[in-house]
Amino acid sequence: MDPSEVEFLAEKEMVKIIPNFSLDKIYLIGGDLGPFNPGLPVDVPVWLALNLKQRQKCRIVPPEWMDVEKLEEIRELERKEDAFTAVPSPYYMELTKLLLNHASDNIPKADEIRTLVKDIWDTRIAKLRCSADSFISQQEAHAQLDNLTLMEINTIRSFLLDSLNCMYKLRSNLLPGSNKGQFTDY
Amino acid sequence: MPCERKPMRYGHSEGHTEVCFDDTGEFIVTCGSDGDVRIWKGLDDDDPKFITVGEKAYSLALKNGKLVTASSNNTVQIHTFPDGDPDGILTRFTASATHVTFNSSSSRVAAGSSDFMVKVVEVSDSSQQKTLRGHEAPVLSVTFDPKDDFLASASCDGSVVVWNIEEQTQVISWPLLQKTNDVSNAKSLCRLSWQPGLYLAVPVDTKVHLYKRGSWEQVSTLSDDLLTQPINVVAWSPCGQFLAAGSVGGLLTMWDVNSKLCVERCKHEKGFTVCCLAWHPSGSQIAYTDTEGCLGLLDGLSTSTSVPNTPAKDYDDLFDNDDDDRLMDEGLSDTNSPVKKPAAGDDDDDDFMPVTGRVRNRGAILDDENSLDTGSLKLGQEKFGDDDDDAGSAVVPAAAPLPFRPIYEGPLPTPPQKAFQPGSTPAHLMHRFMMWNSVGIVRSYNDEQDNAIDVEFHDTAVHHAMHLTNSLGHTMADISQEAVLLACPSTDELASKLQCLHFSSWDTNKEWMVDLPRGEDAKALCLGQGWMAVATSTLMLRLFSIGGLQREIVSLPGPVVCLAGHGQQLLIVYHRATGFDGEQSLGVQLLQFGRRKKQIINGEPLPLSQKSYLSWLGFTAEGTPCYVDSDGVVRMLKRSLGKNLGNRWTPVCNTRETCKSKSDHYWVVGVHENPQQLRCIPCKGSRYPPTLPRPAVAILPFKLPLCQTATEKGQMEEQFWRSVLFYNHYSFLSSSGYEIDEDGQRQSQKEQQELLMKMFALSCKLEREFRCVELAELMTQNVVTLAIRYASRSRRLALAQRLSEIALEKANELQEEGPEEQEDEYSIVRLLIGRMVKILMACVQVPDLGKPPASSGQPRVTNILDNMMSSRKSTPLGGSAGRPNKSPVLKPLAPRPKSKAVSKKTQESTEPAAEQQKPPDIRPPASTADNTENKRPKTGFQLWLEENRKSIVADHPDLEETDIIKEAMGRFRTLSAEERLTWTERAKGHTGDAAELKKRKRVEGGDVENENGQAEADENNAKKKKSLDPSSKLSAFAFNRT
Repeated sequence: MDPSEVEFLAEKEMVKIIPNFSLDKIYLIGGDLGPFNPGLPVDVPVWLALNLKQRQKCRIVPPEWMDVEKLEEIRELERKEDAFTAVPSPYYMELTKLLLNHASDNIPKADEIRTLVKDIWDTRIAKLRCSADSFISQQEAHAQLDNLTLMEINTIRSFLLDSLNCMYKLRSNLLPGSNKGQFTDY
Repeated sequence: MPCERKPMRYGHSEGHTEVCFDDTGEFIVTCGSDGDVRIWKGLDDDDPKFITVGEKAYSLALKNGKLVTASSNNTVQIHTFPDGDPDGILTRFTASATHVTFNSSSSRVAAGSSDFMVKVVEVSDSSQQKTLRGHEAPVLSVTFDPKDDFLASASCDGSVVVWNIEEQTQVISWPLLQKTNDVSNAKSLCRLSWQPGLYLAVPVDTKVHLYKRGSWEQVSTLSDDLLTQPINVVAWSPCGQFLAAGSVGGLLTMWDVNSKLCVERCKHEKGFTVCCLAWHPSGSQIAYTDTEGCLGLLDGLSTSTSVPNTPAKDYDDLFDNDDDDRLMDEGLSDTNSPVKKPAAGDDDDDDFMPVTGRVRNRGAILDDENSLDTGSLKLGQEKFGDDDDDAGSAVVPAAAPLPFRPIYEGPLPTPPQKAFQPGSTPAHLMHRFMMWNSVGIVRSYNDEQDNAIDVEFHDTAVHHAMHLTNSLGHTMADISQEAVLLACPSTDELASKLQCLHFSSWDTNKEWMVDLPRGEDAKALCLGQGWMAVATSTLMLRLFSIGGLQREIVSLPGPVVCLAGHGQQLLIVYHRATGFDGEQSLGVQLLQFGRRKKQIINGEPLPLSQKSYLSWLGFTAEGTPCYVDSDGVVRMLKRSLGKNLGNRWTPVCNTRETCKSKSDHYWVVGVHENPQQLRCIPCKGSRYPPTLPRPAVAILPFKLPLCQTATEKGQMEEQFWRSVLFYNHYSFLSSSGYEIDEDGQRQSQKEQQELLMKMFALSCKLEREFRCVELAELMTQNVVTLAIRYASRSRRLALAQRLSEIALEKANELQEEGPEEQEDEYSIVRLLIGRMVKILMACVQVPDLGKPPASSGQPRVTNILDNMMSSRKSTPLGGSAGRPNKSPVLKPLAPRPKSKAVSKKTQESTEPAAEQQKPPDIRPPASTADNTENKRPKTGFQLWLEENRKSIVADHPDLEETDIIKEAMGRFRTLSAEERLTWTERAKGHTGDAAELKKRKRVEGGDVENENGQAEADENNAKKKKSLDPSSKLSAFAFNRT
């Protein structure tokens, strides 16, 4: 699964927009959207919000957590705790990226938010690396990690799995009397 | 006269300190070298509010909610009082200002500065300023002539100069003082003071010179032997009779001007230099400050002349309090409106006393918490009552002519609220919404860089956003799908203008402008469809077409509060009269233009919540008038169609109920009826939103304030009536020729009926059968049949019977109302009656139900006249079970043929008459219960019916089968008990001899049906057989069911 697929999933998240056009309810396979009244907030999926925004058909109302104070709090908590803390949205990284890239004019203090989210992300990824490191170095069979988001899992998955495979191979080679090892010796 | 010296307290860090009272005397306001302005509630206030105005504050002046300070950055600034919001910079100097002062009407501020200049600036427009040049050293102090013609200033160059303000020339100059090079080196601050009448007091060393205004002669000198050091500051009492002086040595002295005697001396407790003095507006206190930053107070001074003014003063105080309280509200900016200046000026000309009967142009809006403080009123009276005794002898001739006015204790008039545009934020804000409605937003920016108006449409399909420079200073705006309308008040040079951006015009001229006549200011405006209306200060309503044609001119009954337009409707709210005790007295007119021009509401009072004012007025998107008051109650017009103008205002929502904190408000921007939405902007801690960050619209649900909405019953009642109210617009729209969404209407009706049914079920569950009947009367006919079914299924037969009557009435009403729709309705009636018969058959046949259905008296539908009675009336009638006229339960069905006859007019007229005759003859049929044989397939009645069908059919050839059964039952009832018994017997014993039966029947038929035509009977012979089967089926069904 590559990041673009995760982003695709994130685009299903709902976000509030203020449309500047009027349209009746639209009926889609995934559910009904609208009705759209100019000036009146309405919940739509991110993909539609971005599409409308690009066509200058709406203003995006940033999600509640996309606020400097709240993010600062989360960042502090994330830094203080050893384990992963709960994030405001399972797609916080993707949403921040998408919304800030396409609708930064509708989001107050966009730059600060970008930095804060990046900080949170970095902290979490660092934690993830640490735990992977200790997982491998202590040769644990399993580990439990709570509150990880899909994107975070995705970033480390391929690397971790590959390296674990690799290490398994190496270790099994080292084992005396291993068939596989003998076979590869030839 | 004795006075009490209160202990000094620290106010500011050491250095020059100044003090003054606010207009009401409630607060002492000081400023000092720490750069703060402190607002003390009294000398004992340990936690004064403070406003930081700069690094150092040299001087302050406070009047009419404006706090003017001279601070160390060479500027003279304005702050609002008591909030302390910066309100701009009044003027700048090249060196620091040394003294600032207001004129008596608080329209101008004079400031003296260390750069040798004196400036006189208009408070409302700081660009209008006059500079008085001529001093050759820093200016020490300035003071206004109470009549505003002259200004006196003292300077370090030793001169005291009187200026003519208009001509900016020196009138006279006296070399009185010692020359110094700076204010800090001056021996005395030489604060001048102008009596509210004649004399200019100038402190010269240890004496005070009094100069007469006009002749500029020195008329007298006040001195005191104990004064050994120079006098720093002098101040006149508000009545003008006493002069207080503070000296460098800390001595406070007071003279009576008439006798020129020193009446009071007081020494500063530490002997510090007194650098500022201020009289309490009542004249009973003097606050003073020293150069060490301390604040002191002399209390208990008596100035006899103020006694006659007490009522007026207290009266004024009350409104001053209003002014202070309402600062958060709209209308603040109006305190400096041009109307005020002449009014206050005139008054000062007539009267020496600044506190007497001054007409204040009070703030438009009262605060919620605003209430009359009777306590303070009393306090004031006592205080002055005491003074009366000891100072009675000292009454000055100047004050004597004033008549003694009795103290008024009744309700006090409320200042009328100012005209406003619904959906705008206060005009004094630099960034404000001029209009926010369902079409778009008009914002205005008025700061240093920019004076502009932004127009933005919610729906960009209407028009793209616009940016205009606001060179005319527009303060009012409205926006519609067709145009943007702007208006500005008149200025000295320019008349009030109306500017219309008619963007939807198809020609190339998208804009027009019109000047209002001189002296006429636009107060409120609105846009409708193809027209616009402007209400002006001359109580005129001017109507224009959207293209700029003047269409009509109407006089308004009172000063306008606001206007709202929608389609062809115009809603006007105006002041009907003066309100009292915080209430506004508003009237409302609703006009309709276009083809059906008429006045729908003609000057009725507009109901407001207690002590509140109007805060929003408009129409719902569907065109129903609607308004919001300052208590957050949203009211909507419930139109009733028809001649009797029963338009009522119904509260539909209270926005304050959903607020989290007391200071939060919702700022309404629109109301929609379908879907039910109250669009508003939540404002934290204020009544209106700021322009940035861009506020988001929230949607509130409506909720009628019915009782007990926590209960299921209350909830459903609320839903039902809300639904009725909010779908009311359909009937209005259709009646005024608009297309309506019929689906929506049907939907709404369905919703209402469903709710009724639910409520019905609930009442049934709660054993409230009377209530059930009441509900049934609100239902449509088909729903009543449902209700009947429900009732019978839950074994409430008495209820079912009553419901069946209601159903019948409704059917009749329908028929009477719309004979042309008869076919349609008729089938419903038929269906209904078929059902009823099933149920009633069941009742008849089931003895174990206890109460025979017939035993409950049903007098009301026994004849056609009863039928015509309104259903409401008939309910209690039906309830009176003890009435002697006990007619059979099935009798209600009798009028059916009658109503049919009316429409068809084919029947013999005699027959309905006969029908009507019958009911009184009928005796109570207590015998239904004697059909004990419910195991048998055939009952006595059925047997009888078989026999008699023919005759019935003969009587009523047009009857349907179900009707026949009904009719038959009616007739069966009329039989005597014995006869019926025999029929039952026969049914039981199967002994029925056909021949005997027939014979019997003939006799019966002959008796009962006097006009039974044999020919008709033969004609209908054929039908008889056919109609037999369904009836037996029906009874079988009834039997099985029960």
